[in-house]
Amino acid sequence: MRRYARLFMLLCKVSLMRQMAYRPHFFLMVFGKVIRMVLLLLFFQAVFLKVDRLGQWTFDQVLLLFATFHLVDYIMSITFQRNLSYGLPALIQSGNLDSRMTLPVNPLFMASLEDIDMMDFISFIPCLGLLIYALHRLGFAFTWLQAVMYGLLIANALIFLFAIVLIIAAISFWTTQSAGLARVFDDFTRVGRYPLDIFEGFWKFFFIYVLPLALISQVPSQALLGALSPGFLLYALAISGLLAVVAIRFWRTGLKNYSSTSS
Amino acid sequence: MMRKALLIFRLVFMERSAYRVNFILEISGGILSILIVVFLWLAVYRSAGRAELGGYSLAEMITYLLGGGLINSFLLTTAENPETSQAIQDGALSNLLIQPIHPYWVWLFRDLAAKAFLGVIGLAGYAIVSLLLNERLIFLFDPLRLILFGVALAAAVLLQFLTFESLNLLAFWVENTYGFRFTLRVIMEVAGGAIIPLSFFPALLQKVFALLPFPYLVYFPMRIYLNKIECADILPELVRAAVWMAGLAGLNAILWNRGLRRYTSMGD
Repeated sequence: MRRYARLFMLLCKVSLMRQMAYRPHFFLMVFGKVIRMVLLLLFFQAVFLKVDRLGQWTFDQVLLLFATFHLVDYIMSITFQRNLSYGLPALIQSGNLDSRMTLPVNPLFMASLEDIDMMDFISFIPCLGLLIYALHRLGFAFTWLQAVMYGLLIANALIFLFAIVLIIAAISFWTTQSAGLARVFDDFTRVGRYPLDIFEGFWKFFFIYVLPLALISQVPSQALLGALSPGFLLYALAISGLLAVVAIRFWRTGLKNYSSTSS
Repeated sequence: MMRKALLIFRLVFMERSAYRVNFILEISGGILSILIVVFLWLAVYRSAGRAELGGYSLAEMITYLLGGGLINSFLLTTAENPETSQAIQDGALSNLLIQPIHPYWVWLFRDLAAKAFLGVIGLAGYAIVSLLLNERLIFLFDPLRLILFGVALAAAVLLQFLTFESLNLLAFWVENTYGFRFTLRVIMEVAGGAIIPLSFFPALLQKVFALLPFPYLVYFPMRIYLNKIECADILPELVRAAVWMAGLAGLNAILWNRGLRRYTSMGD
């Protein structure tokens, strides 16, 4: 475990060195990402100039949802998202996965964390600020238990996303191509930025039970606001656990199927 | 010149067709994002319990979002291309300089061709979505307005090219221009009105946006389409867009001439 922690720090350092090679570029990208979040926020504010509630959600609650979504989204993009969605298919296609498999570490660890996105790591800090601001606006009105649940459900959201991203990426063991599908899923996840109350009927059902994007930010936010039923909590944990098991199995089967052909 | 331009168009269409699946997926993603926002606005109108918000009826809003989405993702955002920067950085420019056509024209025609290609695929995608939302869409039949809409779109295409090209040309001085282009694209999407009509923003922000060329990209054409601007007011706006274009073209010319003097190309 400690070895992996050290390895992770080393990967962060190498990534930072690589990404900082063009320093003005690095800071411009961070600036762009922060601006994007601010502008999205302005968009929400523009919406709430016209209405005082979206379904059941007030502006402050939507702010919490928005910050939670970006918190999860940033952690995902700093760590495994691009490595698995775009890096792994490229490694499989080129046959370069061989060199990673011969390393004395778990191949899944290397495949998911090889390139740590330090630009997103820096842009992540204002996102934390936004979360604190949202909590401040809500008057920090939550119990310790609710706060713990919030943290737990954010971890749960990350497991859920990791599992799906891994399943999509592992498809490339058979097809060598899955980046397109990964991009579509990435577009889908943006649903998590909005309260699911905006959907009605079929689509609401779809995003809770078929492709449960509700798990990303809605469920953790509801837990913090004390509006999550125990049934839903169990459901959220069960789904992520189940998907994680399926994903790991799928990855192992894929790895056995890996033919290591290169062009 | 015309023949050369057509040749470039044909080449770009062939190149792009090789990766059709990628483009279709990318466009599906764009349409999906727009649909999510359409759902959001349906809910906002429901919550507000009013037929009109910010001067837009629900049908107008949905038409605005789909039209703006089409313009934004296929004509403006996706086609933001790095070719100029790349050519300057990796020395491919040397090869272009000895061709019987000026590199700038090559880049312009290649950009226009890429936009046309994405526009065609996008139109197909949005046509399918439009069938689903048929009853909620507004169609424009007034021929004069349709022509003005077309002119505004052409202006948007050129303005977008000129804006990003001036950043691309910075490659003569800086090693990597992606950061500039990324930041500008983010600002362009919002200030251009691709996500929401600009009239929804607080007054101060609207004033800031009006100082930029971006409102001509999506907001202006869609206002023409939706009858939100009088015919008599369109012409002065078009003139202002033309002034922007002239200014940016001048800037491009200066950057090109100064940059070329600095340009060195080393072999491997």
